[in-house]
Amino acid sequence: MSSLNTFGAILSYAAEMEAQLCDWYSGMGEAAKAKAADKRRKKLERVRRENVVEITLEPIAGLDAADYALDLADASREGQAAVADIAARFYRDVAPKINVRAAQRALERCGREHAR
Amino acid sequence: MSRTIKNYIDGGWLASGASTLMPVHDPATCEHLADCPDSTAADVDLAVRAAKAAFDEWRSTPVLVRAQYMHHFKVMVEDNFEEISRIVVKEHGKTMDEARGEVRRGIESIDFAMSVPVLMRSDGLEDISSGIDETTVRQPAGVFAAITPFNFPFMVPLWFLPTAITCGNTFILKPSPQTPLSTEYLFEMLDELDLPEGVVNLVNGAVPSATALMEHPDVTGVSFVGSSAVAKIIYETCTRNGKRVQAQGGAKNYIAVMPDADIEASVKNILGAAYGCAGQRCLAAAVAVGVGDAYDALKDELAKQVADLKVGYGLDETTQMGTVISDSAKERIETMIAQSATEGADVVVDGRDYNVNGYENGSWVGPTLIADVQPNTTMANEEVFGPVLALMKADSFDDAVDIINQSRYGNAASIFTSNGKNAREFKYNVNAGNIGVNIGVAAPSASFPFGGQKDSFFGDLHGQGMDSIEFYTERKIVIERWV
Repeated sequence: MSSLNTFGAILSYAAEMEAQLCDWYSGMGEAAKAKAADKRRKKLERVRRENVVEITLEPIAGLDAADYALDLADASREGQAAVADIAARFYRDVAPKINVRAAQRALERCGREHAR
Repeated sequence: MSRTIKNYIDGGWLASGASTLMPVHDPATCEHLADCPDSTAADVDLAVRAAKAAFDEWRSTPVLVRAQYMHHFKVMVEDNFEEISRIVVKEHGKTMDEARGEVRRGIESIDFAMSVPVLMRSDGLEDISSGIDETTVRQPAGVFAAITPFNFPFMVPLWFLPTAITCGNTFILKPSPQTPLSTEYLFEMLDELDLPEGVVNLVNGAVPSATALMEHPDVTGVSFVGSSAVAKIIYETCTRNGKRVQAQGGAKNYIAVMPDADIEASVKNILGAAYGCAGQRCLAAAVAVGVGDAYDALKDELAKQVADLKVGYGLDETTQMGTVISDSAKERIETMIAQSATEGADVVVDGRDYNVNGYENGSWVGPTLIADVQPNTTMANEEVFGPVLALMKADSFDDAVDIINQSRYGNAASIFTSNGKNAREFKYNVNAGNIGVNIGVAAPSASFPFGGQKDSFFGDLHGQGMDSIEFYTERKIVIERWV
């Protein structure tokens, strides 16, 4: 996916990112972080399903998935911090682009969780 | 090898007796998905008999139990949300977001049906004369049918079916033969609900089955959504046969853009309104009327944003606009664009001969913007039902309202403005059934009736909202005296 230009593209990218993080954290024995990522994935899928408003679907510009690529090769503490930073930045950037407040709120919360 | 879709009659899947099959294609990939039978009058008769036989038991099933079925139905649709959305994309060609939006709105109609126990309640008055009380009760009216279009194959059937059966009626659906797969899936879910046999029935087909439904003496009422020409035929045929009918037709929806509007934000919303579902919806924005200085700014901003729209296969999440339904639709739309150019309009962005890499055989029409469209031309008056937005100029607000009100259609109209007085005058004076203020697609939610005036609607009671409760029930007056 080269561009995050629709409501669905953004929510699907976010859900896929959390699924990747869940696997990554599981692989390094970080059960709590894996569980939190899986919870976020489920929430994002629900948000994608429940908050798509046909009458306000609009094109979204200015976001590219390439800007949020995660380096999952580095499992060190610093590597994990870098991944969390990118995820937090992703949510910070995409939330204002979504014109449904409930979906925006969910994205903002995901961002806050990564920023902790 | 392709499979042939079956009908669902009397609680089971049944092969149609049809000798004619209609191919169902993915309009982007041209993949042959299935064959749809052109069901016969005999198939319809079987369905009507089953629905009629089921009526007495179903109407006496407590309304709270009927509503509970809708609760379970909603859970099933939620559980299968993504799968249904993908089927809609494949059979129709729209984008995933649009398909998800459609399924979501279908769920809203199921939600509405869950409120039938409240909405069916009636009223009464004691002592209308000495010792005499008068009450009204709402009762289900019998067997209802719906004939639904290709453009919202999952949502439109749900405007009707959940409310009809929760009110205690039995039901027959005849979906579009171009998009029968999501309704097939819908009936697979209904089958899992274990409703009494015959309460819901599905007959696939085209004109013969639609005609048989309209002419069958045991069908009480018919709902229809489609073109105005067919809506008029449906209305006339049903009324001639003594039926209730609500027939929603086509449209030519205008959007007035005032000089005080935020042009960039308005255009973003107008894009969704004009090119969403590739313009194949009865609420699509068809003509943007720029008032005064707004015209040039609107034209420039539209040209810029239209060119940036990403057209492609709907299953790709980054696609912003999908295909039209078929090659014949593509040909018709391209002919109308050519005619508009002949009539002197300026084709600013031309979507003819459009192609998408990897999907060369798809029914593509690119987003098209046509400026300087004059009144009394085809583009100003006829429904395109494709991704084409016409631009007209009005000197003043009053001129814009006059242009809009001259249309023979009256489905929807919108205004983009920051001025409350303009908005109020627009709501008050424009003859359209659904009015948008800073909203390009004025689509009523399930608890409101879906408006429509002039040649956009034939009937009295609209679909959705309280109108649907009226449509699906008979009111009985009881006057009592006990001595």
